[in-house]
Amino acid sequence: MSYLVQQTLIYAIPLMIVALAGVFAERSGIINLALEGIMIFGAFIGVLFVHLCQKYGVFELLPNNGNWGTMQLFELLGMLISGMLGALFALLLGFAAINLKADQTISGTALNMLAPAIVLFFVRIIANQEELRLYKGDAAQWFMIKKGMLGLGESDGFLVNTFLNKVYLATYVCIILFVICAIILYKTKFGLRLRSCGENPQAADSLGINVRRMRYSGVLISGALAGMGGFVYALTTSNCMSNGDVAGFGFLALAVMIFGNWKPLNIAGAALLFGLFKCLAAGYSSIDINGDGTKLLFELSKHPTWGKVLNPNFYRMLPYLISLLVLAFTSKKSRAPKAEGIPYDKGQR
Amino acid sequence: MKKYLAIFLVLVMALAAFAGCQTTKPEDGKTPDTQTEGTQTEATTTEGTETEAAEGSYEIAFVTDVGQLMDKSFNQGTWEGCEQYAKDNGKTVKYYQPANGADATDADRFEAMKAAVENGAKIVVAAGFMQANALTQAAKAYPEVKFVFIDGWALTDGENGPVLDNVAGIAYQEEQAGYFAGYAVVMDGYTKLGFCGGGGGTNPACCRYGYGFVQGAEAAAEVKGVDVEIKYSWQYGENFSASPELQAMATGWYEDGTEIIFACGGSMFASITAAASANDAKVVGVDVDQSEESETVVTSAMKGLSTSVVWAIGKFYEDKWTEIGGQNTSLGVADDAVGLPTETWSLTGWTVDEYNTLYAAVKDGSVTIDANYPEDMSTFAGQHVTVTVVK
Repeated sequence: MSYLVQQTLIYAIPLMIVALAGVFAERSGIINLALEGIMIFGAFIGVLFVHLCQKYGVFELLPNNGNWGTMQLFELLGMLISGMLGALFALLLGFAAINLKADQTISGTALNMLAPAIVLFFVRIIANQEELRLYKGDAAQWFMIKKGMLGLGESDGFLVNTFLNKVYLATYVCIILFVICAIILYKTKFGLRLRSCGENPQAADSLGINVRRMRYSGVLISGALAGMGGFVYALTTSNCMSNGDVAGFGFLALAVMIFGNWKPLNIAGAALLFGLFKCLAAGYSSIDINGDGTKLLFELSKHPTWGKVLNPNFYRMLPYLISLLVLAFTSKKSRAPKAEGIPYDKGQR
Repeated sequence: MKKYLAIFLVLVMALAAFAGCQTTKPEDGKTPDTQTEGTQTEATTTEGTETEAAEGSYEIAFVTDVGQLMDKSFNQGTWEGCEQYAKDNGKTVKYYQPANGADATDADRFEAMKAAVENGAKIVVAAGFMQANALTQAAKAYPEVKFVFIDGWALTDGENGPVLDNVAGIAYQEEQAGYFAGYAVVMDGYTKLGFCGGGGGTNPACCRYGYGFVQGAEAAAEVKGVDVEIKYSWQYGENFSASPELQAMATGWYEDGTEIIFACGGSMFASITAAASANDAKVVGVDVDQSEESETVVTSAMKGLSTSVVWAIGKFYEDKWTEIGGQNTSLGVADDAVGLPTETWSLTGWTVDEYNTLYAAVKDGSVTIDANYPEDMSTFAGQHVTVTVVK
């Protein structure tokens, strides 16, 4: 059970935060198809930061060398840097979409093509191969929080085992950020102005809101969240490796955003649902839900009659099947920001 | 507007003309630590004089298998052999990665070999059984060039055609290395094992490793009188790459009680060590000694890739090519080509002396290891080992 929760979170968190990144851009009126590209770029920056720190012995220089708390600080620093550079990368989209009034779908796609190419180019130079890994050791060994570190080694409670053992701080930081960003979007003056620019920028402008500035803010926040999400993805699911690929998580996040109807709470739900089924598909052979020692899903897949339907391939289909089903029932109510994708033109009304 | 269109058209035509001149080149990387320094000149002219050709060309070429060059495993081991020979004997060496990565076709591989030959390769080392078709084509096209087929076999021209004697097929008895690894970990006290293989169950080398691993575990379980469970999977390893799914699966296994997983396939190692490191569990490495890569590695099932590559290239330069050309060479304990790295292993329940005794027993034939792996490992009938195949 702990396994199910933890793995679900590992899949869901990057999806959630990147989908929220999409929301910030789209609510301000810019379609951000470049989420995948920004994630790839952010993952690269974060991994490079950790790699270089290891290479030049920065960790060893610290007074509290070996202290797990210090490592958490570095993890946060990595997230911050990848977020900043992600925002910088997203500026390209902002410039094309806001200043040049370019087609946002095309410029987003261009960034998606640019990011893996540019990342592979640098990875090739740095590592002389197509993937950049940690300089030494494993991500878990450096950054993972285990209950022993917190002095809870003896404890066997479900909450401790699930939420304080074998987890990354990044997961919780992302959840907190998610909540803060959702509040900013819905409960502050800034959020209201941002959203108005995605619905009716002319009206917003007539009330004295600077549409350009709002849209740039949306894109920058979007880039920062997506870049950070990329690093979190690399850290938690691929042993801190950057190879110009995030397994399509950026596009999945776009789907989750639409799935979640551009609303934070729905997005969180959609990401968790998707993550849960992803986890079931990959780990069905060792999931013991009620803790009685039998692994129901695994037994079913081997059952002579049930196994014909509930086989591993079916499990692997589930995340997508469920998404399709839910979309089929909810898409009618789904409503995109009205002015998204349309370059702001003062003269129009 | 017309003017721009005209300029555009001229540019397109000029580019097309350029494209026509250049042969399509596969991705090729830099050549670190080789004899030739500096960059390679584009499109070495074949009409150049002897000395010129020697300066701008690379005599030894390595064409990689799917996966990364520096995979800390199969490709890297082979490449290190090429590099070492070149360094020790003052030769030039260069590697070629077939285009399209994991989806490389026979044509991509042939293009890589063609590029190697056009860059002056006299001997081409090709790694991985998937190169067979491309190698056949290349060996026929360039009869004067020698090819070493690692993890391969002697090739023929067509189904029943003559044997191509410029191809040397070198295979390993991986089942022996797997056997030692399986034996070692069970003797060391592990009873819940896992096996994650690459190639989706179609790669003969990985299949032999896995089968040997199971047999070794069975033999050791017999000695110790314990029952051993093995989870056996080819999932998420088709491309020998790391993936979130593989990590999730391995994490699940470890959480479920699996103590050690044999990570049998190139970069899959990264996902499995990540899971092991998170769960304070262990990993068995493959092909080369991987103990430096992660603290979770207990031991590695090795095959002497670099030594045998050095050996095979040596045959060519010592004019003894006929000894291996056109033949199947299968290297195993008899040639000291497989085994465990005794210096770096972290086994505590099993000593190097005991390993040497077992090694000798395999060598003199008193312990036999079956190489004919079953298609479905769940049919393995062991007294002490139960194999659960996870699909």
